[in-house]
Amino acid sequence: MAATNDEEILEGFLCPICKADLKSASQLTSHFESLHQEEQDVLKSLKEIFGKAKKIILNNDDTDLKETFDRALKFSYQESYYLNEEQTVGVCRSTTDYLKAVRGARLERYATETNKLLIRLDKLVCNMPTEPNQRKLHEQEVVPWLDGSSVKLCPNCAKAFNLTRRKHHCRLCGSILCHDCSLFLDIDIARAVVDPSAPHASNQPEQEITEKNGLRLCEHCFNLIELRKQVQDTRNAKTVLMTAYEQMRSLMDQARPAVAMYEKMCQSLFDGETTYNLTDVNAMRGRIGKLAEGIDLLSKQIATFPTDPGTRQARLQNSIRQAAAHYIKEDLLSLRKLPTEAQIEEVRRQRYERAERQIKMERERMEKQRDRMEELAGPSVSRVNNDDDDDNPLLEQMNIIRGYIKEARKELKFEEVAILEANLKELKKEYQLQKLSSKS
Amino acid sequence: MNVIQAVKLYITKMTEESGPGMKVILMDKDTTSIVSMVFSQSEILQKEVYLFERIDSHSKWDNMKHMKCIVFLRPTSENISLLCRELRYPKYGVYFIYFSNVISKADIKTLAECDEQETVREVQEVFADYLAVDRHLFSFNIAGCLHGRSWNQHHLQRCAQGILALLLSVKRRAVVRYEAASEPCARLAERVRDLLRREAVLIDNNIPFNGEIPTPQLLIIDRRDDPVTPLLSQWTYQAMVHELLTINNNRVSLAHLPEVHKDFKEVVLSSEQDEFYAKNLYSNFGEIGQTMKSLMDEFQKKAKSHQKVESIADMKHFVEQYPLFKKMSGTVTKHVTVVGELSACVTRHNLLEVSELEQEIACQSDHSKHLQRLKNLLSNAAVRHHDAAKLVGLYALRYEKHASNALPSLIEALKNRGVSEQLIKSVINLLEYGGAHARQSDLFGLQDAVKITKRLFKGLNGVENIYTQHTPLLKDTLEDLIKGKLRENLYPTMGGDDGAYGRRPQDIFVFIVGGATYEEALCVHQINQTYSGVRIVLGGTTVHNSTSFFEEVKAAMQGVHRTHTRHIRNV
Repeated sequence: MAATNDEEILEGFLCPICKADLKSASQLTSHFESLHQEEQDVLKSLKEIFGKAKKIILNNDDTDLKETFDRALKFSYQESYYLNEEQTVGVCRSTTDYLKAVRGARLERYATETNKLLIRLDKLVCNMPTEPNQRKLHEQEVVPWLDGSSVKLCPNCAKAFNLTRRKHHCRLCGSILCHDCSLFLDIDIARAVVDPSAPHASNQPEQEITEKNGLRLCEHCFNLIELRKQVQDTRNAKTVLMTAYEQMRSLMDQARPAVAMYEKMCQSLFDGETTYNLTDVNAMRGRIGKLAEGIDLLSKQIATFPTDPGTRQARLQNSIRQAAAHYIKEDLLSLRKLPTEAQIEEVRRQRYERAERQIKMERERMEKQRDRMEELAGPSVSRVNNDDDDDNPLLEQMNIIRGYIKEARKELKFEEVAILEANLKELKKEYQLQKLSSKS
Repeated sequence: MNVIQAVKLYITKMTEESGPGMKVILMDKDTTSIVSMVFSQSEILQKEVYLFERIDSHSKWDNMKHMKCIVFLRPTSENISLLCRELRYPKYGVYFIYFSNVISKADIKTLAECDEQETVREVQEVFADYLAVDRHLFSFNIAGCLHGRSWNQHHLQRCAQGILALLLSVKRRAVVRYEAASEPCARLAERVRDLLRREAVLIDNNIPFNGEIPTPQLLIIDRRDDPVTPLLSQWTYQAMVHELLTINNNRVSLAHLPEVHKDFKEVVLSSEQDEFYAKNLYSNFGEIGQTMKSLMDEFQKKAKSHQKVESIADMKHFVEQYPLFKKMSGTVTKHVTVVGELSACVTRHNLLEVSELEQEIACQSDHSKHLQRLKNLLSNAAVRHHDAAKLVGLYALRYEKHASNALPSLIEALKNRGVSEQLIKSVINLLEYGGAHARQSDLFGLQDAVKITKRLFKGLNGVENIYTQHTPLLKDTLEDLIKGKLRENLYPTMGGDDGAYGRRPQDIFVFIVGGATYEEALCVHQINQTYSGVRIVLGGTTVHNSTSFFEEVKAAMQGVHRTHTRHIRNV
């Protein structure tokens, strides 16, 4: 009888997913384990129960200690009345615009003057002849010197010019001044001011700047140029310290998402999920450890840059080191302990048992349904097509994704692994549906 | 209305607005305290702020152009000129300037003129201009705000500005009410009103008017109305530490103790950073002793299990738990040290007996019995002179008008004890400062029929805890205010009654001219919990213990002639 034939099949040890009859309980178990690992996720709803189991398994002193501590704080400081208000940052008022307006108006005057001086400076220093007489001519050509015949006193210090106090000219504005009132601008520095992009040999041994290697300037012009130079220095200031510090910060920026990912992976393990395995999580831990090492190394390096003790620079370097050490200790080294293989096995086994029970229930339900169906529809021919069609495009797709997952694992890109795993699950589900529909 | 949170938000904003990079924060004496009340150094370090500099320090000029400078200053004229000097020769690359209060346009102009190198990126007013002691408690740390019964002008200005900042920082409008009988309260209320008027535009733009809830009220009251509370010994943790060891900006010095561990020469007690403290600051001494004991036991058990570190696995285990272990051990040891010292003080100076009498004088009425016990205690050598003077002061206030008042003989007894002239004088000062003539309210409940019966019933039923019978006057005042029953003639509204009277305010700011106490902070905390929807923030010129209160009284009475204590001839 067809009916009995059908019944025979349905009574067997059916896999709830691919509906294959496995003949014996042990075979079904192994089949389920080997082929449908991922499908166990169907039972995600049971997660909470495992959450509780996890606590028992965890059983590490850390939580104990915390509980002790919390118990000690039994007189709870009620905070309810503070919580019902989302507090935002209080009133602020910016007066920046006003400051900028005032400053702008004031600095405009200086700016035009500075620019004028810079143009002259540019003309002066480029193609400057080395021979003193020619240089003098060149200088006078760029900036017309004031006629000094009527000037009897130095305009700056009001001392009379004579044989020992000779008249000199500022090379930028051409005004007259005595030697004592002149200031000298290093020509190399002048070049750097005019063309900041040009490579300049800095840190030369400190030598006195004289007429020979410097430009004679009056105090006013010198200050304007000096100011411009300082602004430029600020803009270009990038020391070894800065580079090391930036590196350290970028490592910290990498560490933050890594720690978050680790926590997620750890939780997933404790929940008995199979998205990540222990080696994955260990690798992640290793990566965080590496980052911590990197940060530690860089911060130590920063702390040991040579400075004079007691200066701001020394304090700064110490503080950076201190902050980094604190960060490593609090955020990177206090990671959750990983479960052992045995613990994972335990969680997984429990999960599996649940799955098994589910399967049983499912099977019974199915049976009843089939029975009813049989009764209603009468005998019908239905055979499970057991041989897999290897060239199913879905299968191919799944294999490709499995490959990707492997690669992503190798490169520790666990975000990707999670996404791919999810994809794989989707595909599998699709594949089953296809099979089911082809069966019927 | 969490004042700690308000200040924290401002400071976080400052550190964020300057973007990533190494930062230094440049502060003055006041703003340093403001910041240190809410953030620990390690917290600030995590915000990339690595250096803390004082604007008034005269250290060498360094080129630190690679750093960003956050400037956080009170807008005083000295600070402006110091900042001008800094901007003329800038040490740091860029400057983000924040003033803790309103700054005049003229001052901004001065700054702009000094900023020739265009290093200033930002100038703002943020209103973190008070010391946030607790979530509902703030202070200005002004000891001796009155001088000869009237305001020191500088302190008056500071308080008014601080109160303005408080309202702006928690985004509240408020009507100002004040204690009518007190001249200093009226002056402060006027000043606050003026400042609020001047900043009307800022307030209108930033704090939307909410007609649905009653307008928040700012109540300014005078310490003189309740001189008893600061005199009483306290038994809750925070208040007790302040009374016996003195808390200054959340810091307690233990340096005077022999054999104190070097880590605990100065301990930080901050409810924001110390969970144990946060949960126990209002526990009484008995409770805290028990908590400490159980914590110690558990801890020792744990510590013992850690001592047998034999295998590599043990070691690894230990290191993994190390942060929590270390944190806990630090907290436990700190509090054990503090509590140990408190309990030593209690036994050494007979504080239980002293406190019992204090409470009875403050809360009950039995002149002959109190006098007898007071005399007994004065002859007890273990009682500190300071406590003896406190007790006599309490007696003087309580039985000021009693027919058989024996103050002169008690003062004689103090003299025989060898109590210093200074301390004896402070008893008289106290009576001049807060005697019956100076008080507007019925502090001891002698006139009000309801209160007299209440007291009677209390006497009949016996009291739950003889050391904590007293409730501060502030509690009655606040409950009246919450119920809309605070009388307008005693506590008028600045600028006339606009119908706010009779409405029950939900958000309340109370400010005590002459200083608040931790007992009152506890009382406000309890009211906040009892009355749902009610949020009260308490503030004072400072937070007193009995020692600082004597100083406050001394300053307030300086140069004032004795008018109400002339009959006491033996001082």
